[in-house]
Amino acid sequence: MTVIMIVYYLITAFTAAMLIWNFIREKSDRQKMVLYLIVLTPLLLRILRIR
Amino acid sequence: MYLHIGVILLVMAAAYTAANRLKLSVELRMLSATLAGGITGAFFHTPPLMQLGRHMIEGSFTYLDVMLVFVTATIFIEIMATSGSVNFVVRGIVTTFFRVRMLALFLLMFVILIPGALTGAGSVSVLTVGAPCALALGYLGVSRGRSAAILFIIAGLSAAAPPVNIWAMIVSAGTAIPYVGFELPLGIPVLLLGTFTMLTLGWRQEQRLSLEQVLAEMPPVPEGMAWWRVALPFGVFFGLVVIGRVLPFTIPIMGLPLQFVLSAAVALAVSPGPINILTLSRDTVKKLTPLLATMAVVGAMQQVMTVTGVKGLISFAVISVPLIMLYALLVFIIPASEGVLTYGGAAIIGIPLVWFLDSRGLHATVVIAGLSLLWPLGDGLPPTALIGRLTMMVTEYRESYISFLKKTWIPWLAITLVGILMVIFSAKLAFLVEWSM
Amino acid sequence: MTRTAIYKMSLAAIFGLVSGIAGYQFYEHRHYQAPIIAGPGVTRVVKLHEYCPSLKGTPADTDVFFLEGAGDGGTVLLVANTHSNEPAARLTAEIFLENCTIQKGRLIVIPQFNNSGSRNTKPGDGYPLYFEIPTAWGKKKFRMGNRNASPLDSWPDPDVYIHYPDRSLLSYLDVRNTNRTWPGRPDGPLMERVCFAAMELIRNEQVDVAIDIHGAETMFPVTNCIVAPEKSSRIATMVQLMTQAMEGFTVNVYPSPQNFRGLSHREIGDYSNAMPFLLEAPIPFLDQPTGPKTEELLLTGRDPLLLSLARQGKLFVPYDEYGWPMKNRVGQHCSVILEIMNQLSQASPERAVVAENVPRYKDVLEHDVGYYYHNPATADPARVYPN
Ligand SMILES: [Zn+2]
Repeated sequence: MTVIMIVYYLITAFTAAMLIWNFIREKSDRQKMVLYLIVLTPLLLRILRIR
Repeated sequence: MYLHIGVILLVMAAAYTAANRLKLSVELRMLSATLAGGITGAFFHTPPLMQLGRHMIEGSFTYLDVMLVFVTATIFIEIMATSGSVNFVVRGIVTTFFRVRMLALFLLMFVILIPGALTGAGSVSVLTVGAPCALALGYLGVSRGRSAAILFIIAGLSAAAPPVNIWAMIVSAGTAIPYVGFELPLGIPVLLLGTFTMLTLGWRQEQRLSLEQVLAEMPPVPEGMAWWRVALPFGVFFGLVVIGRVLPFTIPIMGLPLQFVLSAAVALAVSPGPINILTLSRDTVKKLTPLLATMAVVGAMQQVMTVTGVKGLISFAVISVPLIMLYALLVFIIPASEGVLTYGGAAIIGIPLVWFLDSRGLHATVVIAGLSLLWPLGDGLPPTALIGRLTMMVTEYRESYISFLKKTWIPWLAITLVGILMVIFSAKLAFLVEWSM
Repeated sequence: MTRTAIYKMSLAAIFGLVSGIAGYQFYEHRHYQAPIIAGPGVTRVVKLHEYCPSLKGTPADTDVFFLEGAGDGGTVLLVANTHSNEPAARLTAEIFLENCTIQKGRLIVIPQFNNSGSRNTKPGDGYPLYFEIPTAWGKKKFRMGNRNASPLDSWPDPDVYIHYPDRSLLSYLDVRNTNRTWPGRPDGPLMERVCFAAMELIRNEQVDVAIDIHGAETMFPVTNCIVAPEKSSRIATMVQLMTQAMEGFTVNVYPSPQNFRGLSHREIGDYSNAMPFLLEAPIPFLDQPTGPKTEELLLTGRDPLLLSLARQGKLFVPYDEYGWPMKNRVGQHCSVILEIMNQLSQASPERAVVAENVPRYKDVLEHDVGYYYHNPATADPARVYPN
């Protein structure tokens, strides 16, 4: 794996971390909670190198 | 077969409407339609029920890289805004060009065109230069609504402008037509239509302010701000893009997200004041989540529509109508396909359409160029309204979405006319392709 | 626990469950091995990285099968699954690998050219993950791959792919498309390295004819044809005439465009002494206006929407209720390849390649594809190559 590819996993992981942080902080907007998970799903499967 | 696919399509529409009644957001409405379509499809074993989740998640990968571009580009521009660069730039543009208004408008057009032209994404234009340009337009006497309209139309043209045009690339890749010779067939209409837009929407000076008044109204410049602090991060970004193009075989492939990350790091380093990157990123991602979810859901919807046959039926309908009627319908179908499916419209409708028109003796490259002027218009149409919504956000235009859209009608019409005429008379315009190569 | 916390946890559980199932399916698909049996004609098997060391250990490395005859002659290279969503290619290559013996000259077969692409899926296009070919001993299961290599192996994409060395601008996706990255570089993006290795193989092994097997949509003008540059066009035309006269099917000859770079039928000819041929058989499954994307559609090519378009005169191939079954496509490929070898042997007898025990079009139509595959469970394990 190249250095640039590793950086892309880091960028993806950083974005995923921000989504999880927002998901945990979200107190009232139930629709928004779903949206965080929708975006998070492909990011997590990429980080885990599944797809 | 037509019947059962039609049933699935109806169920999707019904689910969309029902979700609307339940006051769900547009992303969740599309998700409901997708889920309902998929479950109905599973009754016919298309897809098998145990594959439905896989299809939806696989679809959500379609625009994964575009999502990363959105995130990194927006974090970059948020750093620039927080550091005070934006205010500084606006002040500079207004002071220098206050008295030569038309020249200022013309230069602003180029400022908006460049980022989208280089990246192929109108959203990048809106996100990187949208806010300062909208402010500058405001100080040049253009109303907020018209500024938003200008930004939306020019950003759309920037996405269509060469060298990078994603719609043309998707259609070219799908039809095995080389992505070459697009410079003039795209560049000339984009410049003409952009100038036309600036003239029609920017000509009238709706408010008259003296330079002193304008400067007094503008936000203060932070202590220690200087031109090089603004120029350096942008310089790094455009430098990375340009060097990748000039030395493609010596520079490794970086991709836009990494280029934005490096520029963001430089922006962070040269900001005059301290910036908390973690909270800034958290809040940026929060603000972007509806758009990111739109991309993911559109991909999932596209895949479920394909596996159930709904996409095939739609594309069948498009190529079954007579040629003359097709030209008339394109005016609506092309932007609408973008509004519903974002780039998916180019794949679902564009590819069979270009094959079909190519086989009827039209010049494929010019046809693709003409169509790709129409697609960006759809970025202002619901349900996604991707660039339209970004434009509203960036320009802080607070009226209804419809009132924003209405302000774009004159350039919208001009772009439509030029695009369709390019398709119809593509064979006569083939010289533009030859001169480009 | 608050109601919001319960709501959040249930949401996370639902998403976790769905992604868990889908993730398992993706993982299985990426790691599934469809065995290839080296038949009596296979004399040795090497890895593609022998021709480009930087491929070693990457998921793009793949098996290269040599079938060497006793008599001197020329060399023919067969490349399959350049696009792994056009699977008639691999099915044809496996018929050669499991049955063919070479009398004169050599046959080199790369049955899984874009290995990474074959372990990838195509977002948005809703393919089944696998398809099965019935055989005398049960069903043989294959991965349905993608046109492009997996982003797990080649990431990120450029904003625009600049073709090496020509600098043509191509779609960003094409950096992962092994029919755009020819002739390639030893230190370029992964797919350029795959193509470079193949170019090195062609040059070092003195390949006379390189055949790249594909499938194309029925609504695409370049389908059901042989794409050939100037240097291959005479043989291509002879093959068209011979198969039409002797075997009763028609493939067209389509000239390789000069300015469309990165394709095998262009670059192999320009960067080596070999004559390239690219074979296209129709694959209705890939057409846009079809019904549901099912395994059945993939194997039969039968679709009512396409039938209706055919009646409107909008397809580029003959099409009726019969569809375009896999056996017709594989059978055509077999006959066209054998006829190319035959024409090569007639044009330059010292470079002849003579193959035996390969079925022709009529044989494949009669017996169907699976008839030519042997049972990996009963084969000599040393001759079974997981792929
Ligand atoms: Zn192909």
